[in-house]
Amino acid sequence: MTPGRRPRTTRLWPAFCLWACTGTAQAALQLAPIDASLTPAQADATRQILADAVERLPPAWADVLDERIDVEWRDDLPAKVHGRAKARRMLLQRTLLDGWMARPAGAGIEDPATRAALAAVIHELAHFYDRTPQGGLSRDPRLLDLAGWQVSPMKLGLRSSHNAFSDRSPDRYELESPVEFVAVNLEYFVLDPDYACRRPALYQYFAARIGGAPLQAGCAPDFVYMQVGPDSTLPPVLQIDPDRVYAVDYLFAERNDRPMSRWGHSMLRLVICAPGRARGPDCRLDLPYHQVLSFRAFVDDVQISSWRGLTGSYPSRLYVLPLEQVIEEYTKVELRGLQSIPLNLDPAEIAELLERAARLHWSYDGRYYFLSNNCAVETYKLLHDGVPRLADEDLSSITPTGLLKHLERAGVADASVLDNRDEALRLGYRFDALSTRYQAMFDVARQELNLPQARVQDWLDLPPEVRSPWIGRADLRASAALLLLEQAALRRQQLLSRDELKRRFFGHDAERRDVAADPLGALQDLLRLENYLSRPAALLPDAGYGLPQVRERETLAQEGNRFAAQWREQSGWLRSEARTWLSPQRLSALDGTEANVDALGEQLRRLNHEQGGLELHNE
Amino acid sequence: MIRRTLISALLACLAATPAFAGSFSGTTAGSSAAGTSQSSGSSSGDDNKVVLQARDDAASFVASDGRIRGAQLEAALHYLRERNVKAQRASDMQLAQAILAL
Repeated sequence: MTPGRRPRTTRLWPAFCLWACTGTAQAALQLAPIDASLTPAQADATRQILADAVERLPPAWADVLDERIDVEWRDDLPAKVHGRAKARRMLLQRTLLDGWMARPAGAGIEDPATRAALAAVIHELAHFYDRTPQGGLSRDPRLLDLAGWQVSPMKLGLRSSHNAFSDRSPDRYELESPVEFVAVNLEYFVLDPDYACRRPALYQYFAARIGGAPLQAGCAPDFVYMQVGPDSTLPPVLQIDPDRVYAVDYLFAERNDRPMSRWGHSMLRLVICAPGRARGPDCRLDLPYHQVLSFRAFVDDVQISSWRGLTGSYPSRLYVLPLEQVIEEYTKVELRGLQSIPLNLDPAEIAELLERAARLHWSYDGRYYFLSNNCAVETYKLLHDGVPRLADEDLSSITPTGLLKHLERAGVADASVLDNRDEALRLGYRFDALSTRYQAMFDVARQELNLPQARVQDWLDLPPEVRSPWIGRADLRASAALLLLEQAALRRQQLLSRDELKRRFFGHDAERRDVAADPLGALQDLLRLENYLSRPAALLPDAGYGLPQVRERETLAQEGNRFAAQWREQSGWLRSEARTWLSPQRLSALDGTEANVDALGEQLRRLNHEQGGLELHNE
Repeated sequence: MIRRTLISALLACLAATPAFAGSFSGTTAGSSAAGTSQSSGSSSGDDNKVVLQARDDAASFVASDGRIRGAQLEAALHYLRERNVKAQRASDMQLAQAILAL
């Protein structure tokens, strides 16, 4: 290249002004191509690109950029870099110009070359805008909340330097830094009509800051979450319409003395109304429709390791679980009480919270740290990032009880619903651990039957065949009491069975028993399926970004059904096989207890019938 | 010793994976409870569920002569009375017994 020999044309391409906004005449954005070597056709194309890009900018954005920005096509940018925003110069990759010029006549935004050229210009203009005092989006705490540079209670409110919202990203370059996040997202905000539906909260944020069309009516009114359970009649994609959510409660699982639950567990309960019921207090008893948002470490191994938990090697996942499953797991299996404390949120805030939960569900790939990113921290961040009003409150806490205290102090949670214990139980603000009823149940049975044992524990310790002769002598009331106790015995047998299998197959002195099937392999298969189902973005590889839209939902229903069927088959097989791997003593105790439960069920039916009681199954 | 306690305390709210809980325990309890083999054709999945899920609460209610009254029973009572004329005339105790007899 010899610059001196190139004839300096007298016809310099005049810097042209692009009036970004019709109203302001005195100062406006000027994009000025400064390369004198452009052919007339290239210059023409450049003019088209710049004009087209500027025309698409929302008024507030273009208004702020009331300066001249020189535009240069460059051959020396790294291959993957489409542009650079210098102080007053915009550098653009020359291949974008070539692509634009080679595009078919009449190509619209769906044409890749057209989109690439416009996106590059808009991306760089977003950087220029972001640097102005009026812009400053990448420094705005609210943007950082929405984007995923989350606050961290362990860092005195400082933000994490890592953005973990990496699944279903439109362009992973957005995760580089808040500055790039803003530029990439403004590209989509301007160019992608789907952006409003895929990232509604960000769309609304940008629209409020820089103007733009209001949220389109075309977005689905509900949010979808994957949920797979043993019931094969339920679809794998759960749809929640915010208009059906009456309230959100802070759901706290009380601690017990097992090491895993020393601090309790924090969750959020969605009080969803049954179909056809208007939003109101009656929805509180529509228990089968209520859902729970629960952050858990996904333990991808058959053993939980406290070391791995401390060092963040488990993923942190947001599960959406039916409330009734949560009640069963905590109050009946783990024997821990649940407190459900209403949060003072208005309907718009509930909708924001649900959308945030959906964004977490589909995009978040965080790590679980026992101390700095546990369930309380995740729940705190969900409230903080989901509901702007709560971001202003001092809620930061690393323990479930601490978070509850802060919510109460801020007037967000109202724990007075627990004051009257009986009412709290009746209305579902409290779910007692079933164990709190065992002694009372036993006293009823003991009085009626003159049982020789004094303590309920002694009764439950008896082999089932020693308890069974008493069953036939019980009246209806004592049968009801014995049923609850026999169920307790059954759950205990199931836990003992599980422990026995764990020791036998996965413990330090694991016995390599000669079984036809490999339990470890089967369990690992199951974990692999659950990994997919709990990180649902994996079910939609390379398709779209953000919240799943109509077509993706169809794929999800299909893929979800396929995975769910495998999961049910595998877990059903494992459950039935597990019985054959038990020791004869354990199996006999399990069978005996199940027989007692069945006998009590039969007896309760018979007694109710004999006494002329109401019979529901004849309805 | 202190270190061990600390590490235990740090295991805050780590829940075991649902797979593990479900594989060898838990889920069987609900379905096999008292051999509920009835297959009433009149109600859908959710409908049956609210009543079946109330069995433990119903047992506590009947055994405690009405003193222990949990939300799952309360939900089932509401549900039955909203749909069933006979249930509207029945007492809470009669309904709780009927739930146990399902």
